[in-house]
Amino acid sequence: MKRKLRSFVVYFAVLACAALVSAHSAAAQDWFQTGTGLGVSKAKLAVPDTVARSTFGPPLPKVFHDVLWSDLEYSGIVDLISPSFYPLETVGQPSDLKAADWSAAPANAYMVAYGSLSQDANGMAFAGYLSDVHSPNAPVALQKIYRGQPNEQDARRMAHQFADDIIALLSGGQPGIAQTQIAYVSGRSGNKEIWVMDYDGANQHQITHLNTISLTPRWSPDATRIAFTCYVPYRGVTSAQICIYSTASNRLISFPRFRGTNSSPAWSPDGQQLAFMSSINGDPAIYVANADGTHLHRVTFGAGVATSPVWNPKTGKQMVFVSDRAGDPALYLSDADGSNAQKIDLPDMGYVIDPSWSPNGQLLAFSWRRPSGNYDIYAMDIVSHQLVELTKDEARNERPSWAPDGRHLVFESTRTGTRQIWTMLADGSQPRELTFQGQSESPSWSQR
Amino acid sequence: MSTIAATRPGQTLKPFVVWSVGLHLAVLAYCVFAGWWAYTHRGENWGGPGGSVSVGIVGSVPAIPLPLPEVVSPNRVVDNSKGLFKSEPQAPPKPPPDAVPIPKFEKNKPPKIISPKSKVLENPTPPPPNAVPYGGGGAPSIPVTSFAMGAGNTQAGLAFNGVGGGDFGSRFSWYVTAVQQRVSSNWLQSSIDPSVAYAPRVVVSFTILRNGTITNVQLTQRSNVYAVDNSAVRAVNASSPLQPLPPGYSGSYVNVEFYFDFHR
Repeated sequence: MKRKLRSFVVYFAVLACAALVSAHSAAAQDWFQTGTGLGVSKAKLAVPDTVARSTFGPPLPKVFHDVLWSDLEYSGIVDLISPSFYPLETVGQPSDLKAADWSAAPANAYMVAYGSLSQDANGMAFAGYLSDVHSPNAPVALQKIYRGQPNEQDARRMAHQFADDIIALLSGGQPGIAQTQIAYVSGRSGNKEIWVMDYDGANQHQITHLNTISLTPRWSPDATRIAFTCYVPYRGVTSAQICIYSTASNRLISFPRFRGTNSSPAWSPDGQQLAFMSSINGDPAIYVANADGTHLHRVTFGAGVATSPVWNPKTGKQMVFVSDRAGDPALYLSDADGSNAQKIDLPDMGYVIDPSWSPNGQLLAFSWRRPSGNYDIYAMDIVSHQLVELTKDEARNERPSWAPDGRHLVFESTRTGTRQIWTMLADGSQPRELTFQGQSESPSWSQR
Repeated sequence: MSTIAATRPGQTLKPFVVWSVGLHLAVLAYCVFAGWWAYTHRGENWGGPGGSVSVGIVGSVPAIPLPLPEVVSPNRVVDNSKGLFKSEPQAPPKPPPDAVPIPKFEKNKPPKIISPKSKVLENPTPPPPNAVPYGGGGAPSIPVTSFAMGAGNTQAGLAFNGVGGGDFGSRFSWYVTAVQQRVSSNWLQSSIDPSVAYAPRVVVSFTILRNGTITNVQLTQRSNVYAVDNSAVRAVNASSPLQPLPPGYSGSYVNVEFYFDFHR
């Protein structure tokens, strides 16, 4: 009897195992095939007007929709369909969406991003959806509720969040940049101070009030600190020094003063170290110190001036800096400890300055004044040493800085007559002016 | 009446002439010295320590993670068939109204060659309305192996319904597109030897786990060009982790076959 029971139990266990395995293998049947080699088509996206479920005093639904549209248009990875092709229907939730109307001509949409904005006692809420109208049986790709207070600032923030979520979905997990910020130098308050704005130029505000000169801001990799060159007098002596501003506590963090001129700081990818130019021992050379100023050591020893260091943000094991040791300022590629310095020989003469290393470590952007023209932005593939001119015949374009997605660049340009901050896609298309007042320069894009 | 005096009385040109001659001599001496200096010190500061790398200018760099423009490939199928019917001949251009005909030279008129009419080409039945004109046949001129997402009626993501592929491709075609875009942007074609212009298709298969992690990367079809095979596997590995699998999908992982067509 006992033996029979045992065999019964064993039999059942085997059955259960078989059932589990078959269920597992049924789920594992799913596979798909895709590939590359002929270029990638951008997703065609329709973004109908945001539906207002409550009455708003200020036109917040319009602000929301405009910001969302601008973010998606500038992402570089989707094609937005012009609203004049849209079906005449308001879409605020998935049940309103008639997929056939949107996927058919003239809209020919592949996906639709829509949602509704409502207001209650707790504040404002946006219910956002992203639907694949191309595959009728597909579930909603994204549905999420974003909350905030009923003001323009929160409407912009919620639109940025929704845009980032859409971009992350459609680019395979690479986050968008709609919530990043740009630090820059502006003299519009009388002195050159550090200012910060959103990536689209909104919300410009001054963060330093040193009433001297502040230059070359650089965001730390975690976007909590900005290192910059400051001219703060100390015991009657004014010299260029490194200052660090914390955006978390809104004040300067202490960083030691060094002898001589100290300028153009750069963060290591882990945020633990700073490289900068210092003439502490006479010759202006690159020095590296911990973020609190300790353990200062020299890394370049060549003749002439070495300045404007940048680390390889992917590995942290290489560095590019500017040096005039061979005549005109040129770029040098070296290991992070300064060894193996190699000049990057460009196929023409002229000044080469302002290096900026792309977040994936593959491209180097810089400004180059060739004998035939003005300063222009170039991008160079580090591996193959191929070079692309990104700006051309548009006055001076200098000091590029990469966005964290590697698809955008911010730079300063004098193409409108005054020096202002501009952004563009990393292939040189879609240039956008972000600042319009006074003179603005030396932008740095936060890495998150 | 004399001309206007260049100098005032009591002032001579002499000091100015002396200064001028002196300055010219100094400039000349500087030029000679600078030339000699540049000649004797030539090449001393050149290049700095450690040598240099040289750089060439090109039209575009593939490493920028932006979607590349779509390229329509030429047809692979060479169409040698004659097609179903002849396309209509173009009307000859009309001569201008004021043209004067050139008199023909009549003397050595070539003999008239009479050739029988081809019976093959004379087709009594009218062509059907959907007939393909001569020379326009063959495979449709759409990008081979690519799929269009824009046109309303094509199926994105190549879903293999009923072939044991499940319906992931049709339900979550946006996810397929996202995977395609991410892996493509991580494919560093610049790392492939410039002498390689074309490689046969490489197929890499891998598994995407629930959280988007890529595992089980395998080369299922080699191109036998080592650099291309390697770059394909690297592109897949560099894309991990992808976006987590769609919340509407119940399975715990998805298998992917990803092909790479390399040509410059």
